[in-house]
Amino acid sequence: MELNRRQVLKLAGLGLGATATPGLLAACSNDTSGGGAGDGSVKFEGWDYEATLVQQNLDRFTKTSNIKVNYTPITSAQYVQKVVAEFTGGGGPDALYVYDDSLAAWVEGDYLQPIDGLPGVDEVYAAIFPGNAEAMTYQGKRYGLPYYTDSNCLIYNAEILSKAGFSKPPASLEELEAQAAKIKSMGLLEHPIGLPAQLSDTWWAWVWGLVFSSGGNMFDDQQAPIMNTSDTVTKDVLTWLQNAANKSKVLDPASLQLLPVPVDNAMKANRYAFTIGARYALRDYNDPQKSKAAGKMKMALVPSLDGKVHGTISNTRMYGLAKDTEVKDNAFKLLTYLGGLGEDKTPYTAKFWFQQRGLGFAYKDLAKDPEITASLKKFADPAIYAQLAEIARPRNVLGVAWYTEFETEMHKVVQGVLSNQVQPSAAVASLAQSAETLKKKYS
Amino acid sequence: MSVLTERRPLGDSAKAWALNAPAITVIALLVAYPIGYSFYVSLQRNNLKRPRAKRFIGFDNYKSLLSDDAFLSALKVSAVFVLVVLGLTVILALILALVLNERFRGRGLLLSLALLPWAMPGVVNGLMWRTIFDAKTGALNGLMMQLGLIDTYQAWLTSATGAFLFTALAQVWNTLPFSVIILLAGLSTIPSELYDAATVDRAGAFRRFTQVTVPWLLHPLLIVLILETMNAFRAFDTIYVLTGGGPGDATTTIALLDVQTVLTFTDFGLGSAYAWVITAITLIISVGYIGLLYRKGNFEV
Repeated sequence: MELNRRQVLKLAGLGLGATATPGLLAACSNDTSGGGAGDGSVKFEGWDYEATLVQQNLDRFTKTSNIKVNYTPITSAQYVQKVVAEFTGGGGPDALYVYDDSLAAWVEGDYLQPIDGLPGVDEVYAAIFPGNAEAMTYQGKRYGLPYYTDSNCLIYNAEILSKAGFSKPPASLEELEAQAAKIKSMGLLEHPIGLPAQLSDTWWAWVWGLVFSSGGNMFDDQQAPIMNTSDTVTKDVLTWLQNAANKSKVLDPASLQLLPVPVDNAMKANRYAFTIGARYALRDYNDPQKSKAAGKMKMALVPSLDGKVHGTISNTRMYGLAKDTEVKDNAFKLLTYLGGLGEDKTPYTAKFWFQQRGLGFAYKDLAKDPEITASLKKFADPAIYAQLAEIARPRNVLGVAWYTEFETEMHKVVQGVLSNQVQPSAAVASLAQSAETLKKKYS
Repeated sequence: MSVLTERRPLGDSAKAWALNAPAITVIALLVAYPIGYSFYVSLQRNNLKRPRAKRFIGFDNYKSLLSDDAFLSALKVSAVFVLVVLGLTVILALILALVLNERFRGRGLLLSLALLPWAMPGVVNGLMWRTIFDAKTGALNGLMMQLGLIDTYQAWLTSATGAFLFTALAQVWNTLPFSVIILLAGLSTIPSELYDAATVDRAGAFRRFTQVTVPWLLHPLLIVLILETMNAFRAFDTIYVLTGGGPGDATTTIALLDVQTVLTFTDFGLGSAYAWVITAITLIISVGYIGLLYRKGNFEV
């Protein structure tokens, strides 16, 4: 077939049409980002934890408020990346889950708007633990209502301790090592302590928990590194970890190969006597349907270097409001339903999550709720649970944009200490150096 | 109308352009544009956490690599990883291809089994090897215990050397079949008369291998070297699943660091610079291979 110029022009026209097609398709799509559907519906996104329960709760909200919610659960492992991609490319949600680790970066990225002055916010912040309020505040402005919170504790298998002749959990790290050594020497377990220490994108709460429980910190209030200068706790904790892994060998060397779920499974199979983890893990550990160790697992304060009570680490997951939302009123009503107080001045959703899945709550008064206490008694000691909430505090370095990089670097350094490749003094020097380098890079 | 119909038909060149235009457009949009854009991004300070700080900085990202400890360490790990993976792949693939080139009973079955790992995605490969190397329930520990080689289960991936070697092994297992296919195809093209002539000349098996087989395999070997070098340099999924780059920095390759920089740290500027360095290195190595082997293969064959 011979082609003449007219036919070529026609083909070129088709080519241009094809190029324009994606734009047309996009315009015809049912993207309701930013409330673009025009019916006031709220686009809501969160990581995929218990998506069915979330939907169930959202349906209740829609029923009572008449506000439609388009909920999209996103796989946890890629939540941060996908949300960042959405906001960057346009079409982010109106309301969403926010990790305290991501808050500073997402505010700096213009993804979120402050909620100061909106109805009920002051009331919520007065009713929650100060640590949670601090974690949801960035540069003096409030950005979230609490989804759930948790703090780290020592989780131990009381039956194994009892067999080794111990009636109380350890209060100090020295005691922890001694108890573990006895368990080991009696042949009850080869390695009584297990920790999740494989490199991953999630934070290592147990490292922070050990430092905070001994009254230390890695950074001062201006986010300057102090682990190598005025605060020796981090170095001492790392020294203890190195000895536990390499001298007394009570800490399982396989920890370097373990992510959190395998540690959970090992605890539930009576293969470790101790781990350091979140309080809510006890609910699963003590569930006879899921755990062989049900009924034997207890929580205690994270042991400290001197055996005294200093603190522990907490994390806060929150609901945030997108900066560019076109349905601000409806989105905030959703936020209030999920993270705030209802008309009866009780946090319905916070209580819902505790009762359904044992997720920790930020509201102080819920600790006194008879239903909560009764439910809590099934898997944990309410007094210790409440004490951990009282003494818990967030990482004071969450407000810097380079936190994620530092956390990643810290994992590598701690792995070096556990595998005896790096000495604690060199480890803290390296951490301080990393923090300074990152500060400079981001300045 | 008559003027239009009298126009001359298009020449061959114009027709060729017209017919290839759709493909060229698609390639330009889906391949060339992203590649060009990534280079443009690599010349920027572009971290999604700090959109207000975004600006053009020329080659500063590239200059900063010279003093970037993480990058230099990852580059070193990648270089050793490539050497180990490439060495093992070439040797094992050559042995396997020579075996499979012979006629024997069960050859078809062995060939199918040898190709099986190639069908496995990198992530699945990583998960499989993670299960095998597991410190508590791993098949490797079980096997070695049964053979009496170890007294207690070992955590294979917790030492720097162990993690590195086992990760390299997992990577080789996944990519070996492709090399075997290429070399096997090369072996099948060698005329049998050459071996007959060499045998008449009293050449032994080793001499026949070095004087006949190897020269004829230089071109397939070149393809294997280029593609496997690229594969090893870009290795990500198996390493990510097996060790996450640890312990410490022991298995943090440049590809792993790149993904981490872009997706976890959202530093698209620096991450794009890393990607371009990987591209440049594999390009230089490929050109080196071609210079060394392509001409030599032609000359000797």
